[in-house]
Amino acid sequence: MQFAKFVVTRLIAYVLVIWIGITVVFFVPRFMPTDPVEAMLGRIMTRGAYMEAEQVEAMRATLTQAFGLEGTLMEQYFGFMQRIFVTREFGPSLSMFPTPVNELIGRALPWTLGLLLSSTIIAWILGNAIGLLAGYRSRWLSSRTLEIIAIFVYPIPYYITALILIILFIHINPIFPLFFSIRGDPPSLEFISSVIYNSILPAASIVIVGFGWWVLSMKALSSSISEEDFVYFAKLKGAGEGRIMTAYVLRNAILPQVTVLALQIGTIFNGALITEILFGYPGLGTMTYNAVLQADYNLLMGTITISIIAVATSTLIIDLLYPVFDPRIRQR
Amino acid sequence: MYKKYGRILFAVFLLALVILPSTALVSAQDMTEVGTPRATTLIVDQLDGRIDNPTQTNPYQAGTRFNQGLHQLAYSNMWEINTATGEQFPGLAAEMPEALNDDFTSFRITLRENLAWSDGEPITTADMAFTIDMVLNTPEFPYHGFLSQVVDSYEVVDDLTMILNTKRSEPRLGYTLGVHIWGDSFRLVPKHIWENEDPATFQNYPPVVSGPYTLADVDPNGNWFLYDKRADWEHTDVGQIFGEPGPEHVLFRFYGTEERRIIAGIQNQLDIFTDISPEAWDILRDANPNARAWHEDFPWANFDDPCERGIVFSNSQEPWDNQNVRWAMALATDIKSVGLATFAGILRVSPLAVPPVQVIHDAFHKPMRDWMTEFAFEDGYQPFDPNYAVDIAAILADQGVEGLPESEEALVDLFGVGWWKHDPDKATEMLQAEGFTLQDGAWHKPDGSPWQITINSPSNFEVQSQRLAFAVADNWRAFGIDAAVQQMDSGTFWSQYSRGEFDAGSYWPGCGALPDSWDLLDAFWHKRHIVPIGQPAPGNAMRYDSDALSGILDQIAPLPSDHPDTIPLLTEFEKQFIVERPWLPMFGTSKFVPVITTYWDGLPTADYFYEGPWWWWSLFKYHMPFIQPKSDG
Repeated sequence: MQFAKFVVTRLIAYVLVIWIGITVVFFVPRFMPTDPVEAMLGRIMTRGAYMEAEQVEAMRATLTQAFGLEGTLMEQYFGFMQRIFVTREFGPSLSMFPTPVNELIGRALPWTLGLLLSSTIIAWILGNAIGLLAGYRSRWLSSRTLEIIAIFVYPIPYYITALILIILFIHINPIFPLFFSIRGDPPSLEFISSVIYNSILPAASIVIVGFGWWVLSMKALSSSISEEDFVYFAKLKGAGEGRIMTAYVLRNAILPQVTVLALQIGTIFNGALITEILFGYPGLGTMTYNAVLQADYNLLMGTITISIIAVATSTLIIDLLYPVFDPRIRQR
Repeated sequence: MYKKYGRILFAVFLLALVILPSTALVSAQDMTEVGTPRATTLIVDQLDGRIDNPTQTNPYQAGTRFNQGLHQLAYSNMWEINTATGEQFPGLAAEMPEALNDDFTSFRITLRENLAWSDGEPITTADMAFTIDMVLNTPEFPYHGFLSQVVDSYEVVDDLTMILNTKRSEPRLGYTLGVHIWGDSFRLVPKHIWENEDPATFQNYPPVVSGPYTLADVDPNGNWFLYDKRADWEHTDVGQIFGEPGPEHVLFRFYGTEERRIIAGIQNQLDIFTDISPEAWDILRDANPNARAWHEDFPWANFDDPCERGIVFSNSQEPWDNQNVRWAMALATDIKSVGLATFAGILRVSPLAVPPVQVIHDAFHKPMRDWMTEFAFEDGYQPFDPNYAVDIAAILADQGVEGLPESEEALVDLFGVGWWKHDPDKATEMLQAEGFTLQDGAWHKPDGSPWQITINSPSNFEVQSQRLAFAVADNWRAFGIDAAVQQMDSGTFWSQYSRGEFDAGSYWPGCGALPDSWDLLDAFWHKRHIVPIGQPAPGNAMRYDSDALSGILDQIAPLPSDHPDTIPLLTEFEKQFIVERPWLPMFGTSKFVPVITTYWDGLPTADYFYEGPWWWWSLFKYHMPFIQPKSDG
């Protein structure tokens, strides 16, 4: 009964968060000082076409109708909600009209997920492993060296790290490609090797910048847990060092790290704008950025809605899984 | 045991690291990443960045992009432009449109003989008729609104001849349905492909095209577009006019940031650049001896971009509705310091409403120089400074710039005919006469409030206008006005402009590539386009209401470009424009659009000027027969 109440409460919160988030996503772009029809008209008119006022008005009317921006704001809102929850479509992109938003997101999402999911998890595993060693074996030279590296790397802005990698491994020693180019069709070996080869540097940039935080946070957690009574008790009982480190220290220190990881995995749906720009990597980040610039309401709502659902869902999953990791919550 | 496996894994990882890139590097030397021979593949910078809908090649859908080679290589237009001569010429058409009556509402249009689509079918008037009908019957197309107000009816005479009747007088039909600046929206489509499709939703990929290259392959992520030369190139307008195109393949590529583009140029992975900054050009030419800008030496850049830059006012609002205030702002501006701060003086000044591109400079700026020198206000004050070119050359020479011309004539050709004097005393006198007051070094408006000016500026695009805004604000602050720059993204920048919801801005309402720029001047300045502030403007976003300027434009409207009165009336417009001073044009646009000559001969330069370096215009296809693989390659 208690568990059912726990689950229902979280499910209600989950639905509410998504509804509020999507509603905000619908209204906020419409208060931006840009307008998709004007943006498209501007693009057409800067191509050098001379148009009489009547021709501009005719074009404006055509675009407004085609973009589905007729009717009151509330009519548009209900239409939008209906599209999302009934047909599960975001409509056509306004800046790339009439290409459907679902198609654009469907093409970009695997790249974003592939890069950010793998690099986030690699950084998490690497950072926590080093942090655990640095916290539990703080006197080892290798632990201290790795910790110093983490402290050194952590505050460097991402942009600088990425540029250094580009200069070192693309310009001075060009072992990685300047030009993001995928060959072959999935799931051929040519395709897979080309994806890996093209993704190594962008992924490395994210891992380098990301793992420092995991090292420092895990080190703080594990060194404090190492001083706990139950760890001394385990030592006195004769438990091996490896077992103490993994079963006693790591198991207790990992809980907050799992929570933060879950939240980070949710946010990767936003894409990695700077990575995409610097490495020419395809993904949702640049697409969302361009959607903002061009007031592409539908594309913007599509990418942000996915992000909202991802963050809310990962939070919900963590909430529901927490009792599995933490017996104290299970007891309550 | 574990250590052993660890070592093996580490060795495999290292091997992969070595093999993967080295495989790519070997191929990169002889082949491009898209599998074409490097020596026969011309690689061009992709202006619009990544194209997220790469297979949308229906030329009439609102969201279709063109700058990735589609309109440069694949689609030919009816009439094109030669920026070297300043004239239009027939592309798919055999001749310029022939007017059949005096009021320019009926025309004979003839297509070239032996033109063919890329699938081998002949291009005929049936395709032209189909294209017109399709656009007129498809209200989903943005171009539908435009064309439906132009075309009244047509009659197909034979396979190559059509009589086109227009709804209004069209003395410049070549402009209306052809190219006169970047490109044109009227693009023929093959009837035999399109007639069974729904044109509103038809994606048209891969497209059957009229141009000399076909779209052979695209990156699903939109980072590159590969075009192949048509085997039947002699059945295209380019082939018939100029001969066989040189490059077998043209690859439009998006490299990303300027740093990556420069690295690509240094590594000979990019042959043609779109805009780069002067600072980036310095790095590129130091690192790659085969890098070549438009000029071999100073000033490097090309000055013939068809839009001039300056400061615009929202003219229907105080104090910009006052001609003397606008003039005072011109005299409060030190154009030399603005030019130096913007692009290190590598700019050509313009005091006129049309840009100082060579053909226009020769047609208006230079012939009007004496008139501008003699021009005086009612009190006899002569505001023009004809010595700008000589003075800026002296400043640059002091800075160590070499290779400057010596004669005044050559300096005027390079830096422009002159601009308005920097005369803060006269500006002060004019403002005080209008009720402005100078208190403790700060200007106050006639109502006593401090005078603050906000200059809208592009934030992450159009770097020349962005820098110019800051340089002008510095000048005006030094003069005592609280001037600030507000940077904004393109959507907001243009939206505020269109709605008139700005104070001043570094916009560029002075464009043209041909001497007859009536259509653009009309769009920018005729009073019939004015709408109230807050509404999107169909034209005249500055909301400048002038009977005199509009009257002259009305006189030019019914005249074709080659009419003997057209240029004199446009000159009258320019004189009246100077008197009224509705905005402050300052400089033509300097374009750093370098090329790498490692693999190619015949790329256009100032010394080999068969056409301007407009790689992102539809005219780029006409460069192709001139561009040939390196003879020693």
